Parts: sequence; structure tokens; C-alpha cells
Amino acid sequence: MTPLPRPDRAPEPGQPAVLVRDVDMDFGSGPLAVAGASFALARGRFLTILGPSGSGKTTLLRIIAGFQQPTRGEIRIGGQAVTATAPHRRSIGMVFQKLALFPHMTAAENVAFPLKMRRHDPATIPGKVERYLDLVRLGGLGGRRIHELSGGQQQRVAIARALVFEPELLLLDEPLAALDRKLREEMQLEFRRIQKELGVTTINVTHDQREALVVSDEIIVMDHGRIQQHARPVEMYRLPANPFVAGFVGVSTFLEGRRTATGLDAGGAACAGTPVGAIPEGAPVQGAIRAEQIRIEADPARLAGCDTILPGIVRDTIFEGERLLYLVEAPALGLALQVYHHDPEEFALFDAGAEVSLGWNARDLLIFNRQDGRDGR
Amino acid sequence: MIHRLTRRGLLRGTAAAGSAALLGSVAGTRLWAQEPEKPAELIVRAWGGSWVEALKAGVSDPFTKATGIAVRHDLTEDNEIQPKVWAAAAQGRVPPIHINWDTTTNATKSALRGVTEDLSGLPNLAATTDLAKPVGLDGYPIVNTYGYVYVLAYRPEVFPDGPPKSWDVLLEPRFKGRIALYNDGIGFHFPAQVAGGGSLEDIPGNMQPAWDFIAKVKEQQPLLGEDPDFTAWFQNGEIDLACTISTNAREAKKNGVDIAWTVPEEGCKFDTDGLWIPKGLPENELYWAKQYINFAITPEAQQVWLDGLGLPGVVPGLTPPADLANDPSYPTKPEDFEHLIRISAQVQVENESDWFAKFKEIMQG
Amino acid sequence: MSSFRYPLRWRLMDALERAADLLWPERLSRFTGWLMIAPALLLVGLLVLGLAEMADGSLRTLDRATFLPSEELSLANYETALGSATYWRVFGRSILGATLATALTLALAFPYAYALVRVPGAVTRKALLVVLFLPFFIGQVVRAYGWLIILGNGGMVNEALGLVGIAPQRLLFNFPAVVFGLVQYLLPFAVLMLAPALTAIPAETETAARSLGASWVRTIWHVVLPMARPGLIGAGLVTMTLALTDFATPAMLGGGSQDFIANAIYDQFFRTADQGLGSALALMLVAAGSAIVALVLGLFGAGTLAMGARR
Repeated sequence: MTPLPRPDRAPEPGQPAVLVRDVDMDFGSGPLAVAGASFALARGRFLTILGPSGSGKTTLLRIIAGFQQPTRGEIRIGGQAVTATAPHRRSIGMVFQKLALFPHMTAAENVAFPLKMRRHDPATIPGKVERYLDLVRLGGLGGRRIHELSGGQQQRVAIARALVFEPELLLLDEPLAALDRKLREEMQLEFRRIQKELGVTTINVTHDQREALVVSDEIIVMDHGRIQQHARPVEMYRLPANPFVAGFVGVSTFLEGRRTATGLDAGGAACAGTPVGAIPEGAPVQGAIRAEQIRIEADPARLAGCDTILPGIVRDTIFEGERLLYLVEAPALGLALQVYHHDPEEFALFDAGAEVSLGWNARDLLIFNRQDGRDGR
Repeated sequence: MIHRLTRRGLLRGTAAAGSAALLGSVAGTRLWAQEPEKPAELIVRAWGGSWVEALKAGVSDPFTKATGIAVRHDLTEDNEIQPKVWAAAAQGRVPPIHINWDTTTNATKSALRGVTEDLSGLPNLAATTDLAKPVGLDGYPIVNTYGYVYVLAYRPEVFPDGPPKSWDVLLEPRFKGRIALYNDGIGFHFPAQVAGGGSLEDIPGNMQPAWDFIAKVKEQQPLLGEDPDFTAWFQNGEIDLACTISTNAREAKKNGVDIAWTVPEEGCKFDTDGLWIPKGLPENELYWAKQYINFAITPEAQQVWLDGLGLPGVVPGLTPPADLANDPSYPTKPEDFEHLIRISAQVQVENESDWFAKFKEIMQG
Repeated sequence: MSSFRYPLRWRLMDALERAADLLWPERLSRFTGWLMIAPALLLVGLLVLGLAEMADGSLRTLDRATFLPSEELSLANYETALGSATYWRVFGRSILGATLATALTLALAFPYAYALVRVPGAVTRKALLVVLFLPFFIGQVVRAYGWLIILGNGGMVNEALGLVGIAPQRLLFNFPAVVFGLVQYLLPFAVLMLAPALTAIPAETETAARSLGASWVRTIWHVVLPMARPGLIGAGLVTMTLALTDFATPAMLGGGSQDFIANAIYDQFFRTADQGLGSALALMLVAAGSAIVALVLGLFGAGTLAMGARR
């Protein structure tokens, strides 16, 4: 049981590119849309704010952009307090959910628009527009009208338009949500490439955990207006701070029980696990284990080395392309576990009704204090 | 062509008036041997407001009482009923009205077009003055029922020294923007001819003096409107002077507007209105429509009807309303007629469009 | 016992569909579209017939001896109209007045429609709509009469001027008064035509422009106005046509000396009984109106009315 090293959180020399401090947003009805949000983002980093709809992630982004005034708290960009600054006076480029391109202009005119609005020297504008159209691989298409471009090309125009005036900060408000999966994955890589090429500090908002893992240097998970965790992707995945994060990022099965010296006791079944933080023995706990960290074998002998081994009965087999998902009932636990099987050689090894053995290592079952965080389910 | 009215002319036919047809005699003065079937109602086109009320009190109500035939008043504008009647005649349809109360000029147009019934046979015509007879037309395609004067109406408070003497008053700078004329200048062309230094004998040949005078009036930025506009404008203090029919001025005065009227030295246009019947009615309805007009020229009907309008009628012996005794717009004495200008309907009909166009040309500039 | 009962409304619809099938069998379905637009075509057809009748009338001169239209056809009425300085002036005044009224109306309608579309509160939006619709219920003539009362020599405005020692001004019965009355009459039409065009512009587009550095004014100028162009052109065409052909406003607020074409046509039809000349003037008005519409559509394309396929 060796925990992952903590990410380097020491601030870089000088000011962080973005500083959000104690931000609350109260729309007057219901609970706070954003509650006590604080984080710092170093220059050149790509941060994704991840959360389900209604988690407050978009509100937080709009506060950073300046479209909304926070009820409390402070925003600093490049060391400057901008909380009360109008959006067009902040140095922020933004790509919108529905792109919000200007249909009455060509692609090049769209890209030139922020330069004109920010009163750049007219002589320099054509060169800059060309450079950024090339950057997003739209060289030669600048004369096209927006509706003459494909969905992916429109995405690229929106990116070029948001970056051409060299803002200190790029904001992405779920611009990929409406795309089909293949295009979305292509554009995720494009965002990452362009961001690395320019080194522009970027904050992305999404509900797609896969996108967050793929594109980001850092991830913030939000729920119910609160930041649940701020970490590097791999840490977020391997060391979720609470059951919510564990459930939202990746596929996990949750076990209810009481804390024991070696893990947790789920209604008589002893499960080896690793506590997150100090939890006294006997306390009610929730355990979370990822589908890919449970091994499944017909012969329990092949699970030698696992800290926990349980018998199970396959209830369903779901083919997901590059892997199989088994739903395996464990009578000892009184619930079904989700188990991934990745080995293509042994595809369709088990049919429904097959008797199998499940095993895992103590470090892969994370144990959370029930009083601590939110329920994972 | 020009008729300076004389008292003698007006009083002609006095003798016949002795046998004035009474209410009861409507049925008695039969045109046919047997009385035809009565229609449920007669439709009479009329002008609204005090005009239709006077007609109702003096003619329609007594007629209904005597015959049992209801009278409905259609208040469509005279100018707007005309094309409808013409279209009905052209297409051989039954006309939309039984009787049209009309200006003699407009009625003459319809007569020239041949859409009017001949009314020569009305028994009560025998007792009327020659004012009842339309000038320049054969027979009685229309029956004139009264005369009226386009007076100079004014607000007495701006004339403390008595009424204005001449139409020249329109040119005084203090009345700039405070003058009203009819839209098409009707009633004003002839006095303007005199005021402009021309002669009535030159109408219609040379009316340049009139146009010159009207052009000067145009510099005064007059308002142009219809009868109801004048009342509203006087009431709201928009104007001090107007060339309008005396009936309208009298009506405004009755409504509490401080207004008086006069006949300036150059004279005022005198004209007539009449009643006529469009062609195409069923025989029985035509009969009763004729009876209506026949009744309208009885002294009894004229007395009540024209008391309401404050205008001189076409039968002798009528008593003027008390407020119009010695009024220049209600001519009774020979000297009353000296300043009244009457141009034959035929000359008016032939030239009116040109006069209107010329007036518009000056005013729309 | 099923929890679902076939609703009565569905039964009714079924019966209606069966009846419709009898009246208009399935095999005629490819003509259904034509059936739907038949009433509209009929109306247009009647209008064309009327125009043809007028065209015939416009070629006949009035004989003032009989007050009948002439048998022979000629262009004399058109010569009269074109040869008359008065009609040229009236046409010029109509076009100038309609253009001014359209420009002013659009300038006033745009912010109103924008507020209507973008205002956050439902109560405010409803209030704006009520204020907009109120004049519709009052009617054009009564509204014009209202202006007589408000702007007259003894009216409220002059009374207010009197309080600060200014002598009564003639505010009515001139060209500006007519244009003013037209603007007031046309404003609701323009707002109602602009509102859908502005609704079609996503609020996010404006947000985007702001984030890209455009101030509010420049966002309106560079983004909202160009995107609202179809609505502006549609509203402009409607207001222009309504103003060009208006009768009541010039008649009531013009004091008789500010005639528009419709007033001149009225005079010919109803005052001098010259239907030939009136018809000629009416057809010239139709021609002028059509020319303006054709010019606008030619300059901007029918697509500007957001009709047909995207360009």
C-alpha cells in the first residue's frame, strides 16, 4: 500500500495566472450555486472543472469571465483584481457551448473581430488572422461563411477567435458537448495541442470525465456548488478525495460496512482496503473499488496474491468494444459488483450464471468515513 | 348664368301655397289611382348630426306617422354614396338608397349621368318658389329644398369693433395659421374672384383673380377641412376665421362656441341642396319615395326641418327662427340678396373638378 | 381493468379524419397543398381582378356633360397626373414622408423590440407588450384625434409651454406632425416584426462579442444590428408600404395641406367623381410601392426576409 505522491502544489514564482478566493454565488433561490470556491492556477496550465449539471461549474466559469458578479469573494487574473471589471476589459478569450460565431461574417472576419474591437493596429490584423487560422489548420478557408464550414471547422474558428488577441486566459464552456464522439475526441486532442503550442493558461468546463482526464493538467471536481477535489488527473483517478469523486470519475462499486483493522466488514464479509484519512475502528464507512481493479477468474487459485477473494455468480455480460463489463453478484456482500475484463484473448469467458471468483488488493479498495464526504451513489 | 337672387323670385308661387298639402294629404295627393303596396322602410341618405336630426323631426317622423312607413337614415357621406349609386345603376341593380339628400351640384352630376328619376309630377311643386327648380336641367331630376350661404364665420372676441367688412381680412398677418377653408375650397372660389378684383361675369372663363387671391390666402397657412373640423377647430381655439356653411356656424354657437358670422361686401356663395331618387327602384318603392319628397316640400315639413337647419326654404310664408331674424345668412329682404352669389349648377358641375384641382395645386404647394 | 382509456378527444379526431377522408380522398393528397393555399390564391385573384378593372377605368376619361366614362381608351388620365405639378408634389411628399417615418420608426422600434426580447423579468415583458398593444385597440383615427387634443393650440403641450412663458406654437397641421403621427401608428407593427428576428439571435452571441472586447454599443452595432437585418428589412418594408398608402394620418394631422397619394385618390373618386383619374393615380401608387419593394428585395435578396433556403 503505497499512496501516490502528492502533486506539486507549491505556487510558481510570482503570481498565479488565475486566483479564485472564497467565491460564493447566491441567485436568491435555493442553496448557493457556488459556495466557498477557492483555487489557484499557475501560468500555462490547463485546468478542467468537472461536474454534473447543476454542480455550479458553469456559474464559476461565468464569474471568472465576468458575465456574473459573485455574491462574495475575489477573482484575480495575472495578479490583477478583476472582480468588478467588465468582461470586455478582462484579457480573456472564451469558446462558447454553442460557439456563438457571427453568421453574418466570414471565418476570417470572425477571427479579426476581437482585434478590431480591441483596437489593434489595422495593419497588423490580416497577418494575425492568417497566423491563427493556420494554427487551427484552417489556412485558406478564411473567406468561407460560417454556415459553409463543417462542425469541426466551426470549432476551430471559435478557438482562433478566442486566442487571436493573445488573452492571458482561455475559457472553454463545454464547446465539445454537442459533437459526436469521434469528432469530440479529435477536438480534445486539438485543444491540447494548441494549448501546449501557445502555452496559454486555460480553464475548461465539462461534464465528461473522460475529456477531463484526457486534456487537463489539473482537474477540479465540483458538486452542489462546492469544490470536491483539485488534483492532477492521475491522482484524481487513483486517489479520489471522497465517494462522490470516486463515483463520478471512473466506474466504481460501493460497499457499506464498518471499519476494521485491515479494511472493512461488510455484513460479515471481511474486505481488505485502505482508509482515506484516519478512521477509528468500528466507524460506519463506505468502500469504493474500481471495476478494472477487480480480477475475475474461474479458478480461485489464480487469484493468489489478492488480499481479498470472494465467490461470485455472473449475472450479466456487457460488451463495450475494447473490454467487457461483468455484473457479478457476490452473495457474501449481498450486492453485484462491476468488473472490467480487458484481455481480448479470453473474451466471453463467462456466461451469465457462471460461478467465478473475484479478487482485489487492499490498496485498491478505498475506505471513506461516512461522516466525511458525500455518498458515492 | 349668374343669378342675383331676388325676393321676387323667392316669393313666386305664393298663390299656390294656399292649398299647401297637409300631412294627411300625402295619401290624398295620389299619383296613381290605386295606392301601391307600402315598403317596410324607406332609406334616406342624410348628413349626420344636427342635419339628420332636423330632417327626422321635420320630414321623416311625420311621414312615418302619416304612412306607417319607417324611415331609415343612411349617414354615408354624400361623396361616398355617389359611386355606389352609379355602380348600381350601371349594373342594373336596385340602388342602396331610396332618396338621396344631396348638394345640387352633386345631384346635377347624377342627373347628367341619367341615374335620377324625374320628379316633375310631384303635386306640391306647384306651390314652391323657383329656387326648387334646378337650373339648366330638363324637368325635375332633383328638387331643391332650401338654400344656404357660405358665410365668413369669426370669433367675435378678436373683432371688438364689429364684424369684418371684407374677405380681405383673411390676409391680415395676425390671422396667419388661424384661418380655415373647405378642403377643395368649395364656397370660396366666387367671393375670392370678387375679392381678387375680378368679375363674376368672367366665371368660368377667367378666374385668375380668384387664384391670385387664393394664393395670397395660402401664404396665411390656412387649415383645410370638412364641416366637423371647423366646429372642432373653433372649439379648440385653433382658428379665428372660416369660410363655412352658416348652419355649421350656428350649430357650433348652439354648442357654446363663441362664434358669429357675416356676409362681407364682396358677397358669399349661395347654393342649394335637394332631394332625388335613384333609378332602379321597384315601382311601389318609387311611388313612396316620391311621396316622401312631395311631403318634404310642404310648408309644414319645411318649417320644422329648416328651423332645425336655420336655412331659407322653397315655399313662401315660412317663419324664420328667432335667432336668425335679420341674419344675412337667412335672406328674406331684397337687400339680403344683394351680396349673395349664385352660379348655375351646370357651370359648377362642368368646371368644379378644375377649380378643385387648381385650389389643391395652390394649397398643396 | 386497464389504467389507460382511449381519450374522447382522440375518438373525435379519428372521426374527423374519417370524414376528411370521404371529402378529400387519400389519392388527392398530392393536391392537398394547393387546397390549403386556395383561399389565399382566391383573394389574390380577386385583387388582381379589381386591379384589372381599375386599369381599364384609368384609360377612360370622364365626360363632364354626361358624367360617364368615355368609350374610347386613352392615356389622358396618366398625362394629366404626370403633367400636374400638384401630383408630383403629393407623390414626392408621400415618398419622403414614408421614408422618414420608416427610418424613425425603425430607430425607435429596435430598442423597444430589443428590450422586449432581452428583458429578464416576465412582468416587465408583459408590461412592455401591453403598452405596445394598447394603441392597436384604440384605432388609428382615435389616436390621431388624441394628438389633436394633445398638440393643439389649447392642448397639453402648449399649456406646458405656456407655464414656462412660451406663446402657443402651431404643432399640428404640418408635415412634421404627419410624420410624427405615422411613426406612432407604425411603431407597434415594426416592434412586432422585429421581435422574432431579435429572438432568433442567441444571447450567447452577444455575450461572445462582449468577451471578445466589444462594448455594449459596439456589440449592438457590429453584431446585433447586422444579424437582425432580415427583421429590419421586413419591418421596414411593412412600415414603408403602410406609410406610403396611409390616408387617415395626413388627412387628420396634415390640416388639409399635407395630402399623401391616398388622399389625392380619395378626392378623385369621391369629391370630383373622376374615377378614371383616381384609378390612374391608384395604379401609379401600386407601381411606386411595388418598385420600392422590388428595389429592396433586389438589393438585399429575398433571403433577407429569412425566406427560402439559406444563401
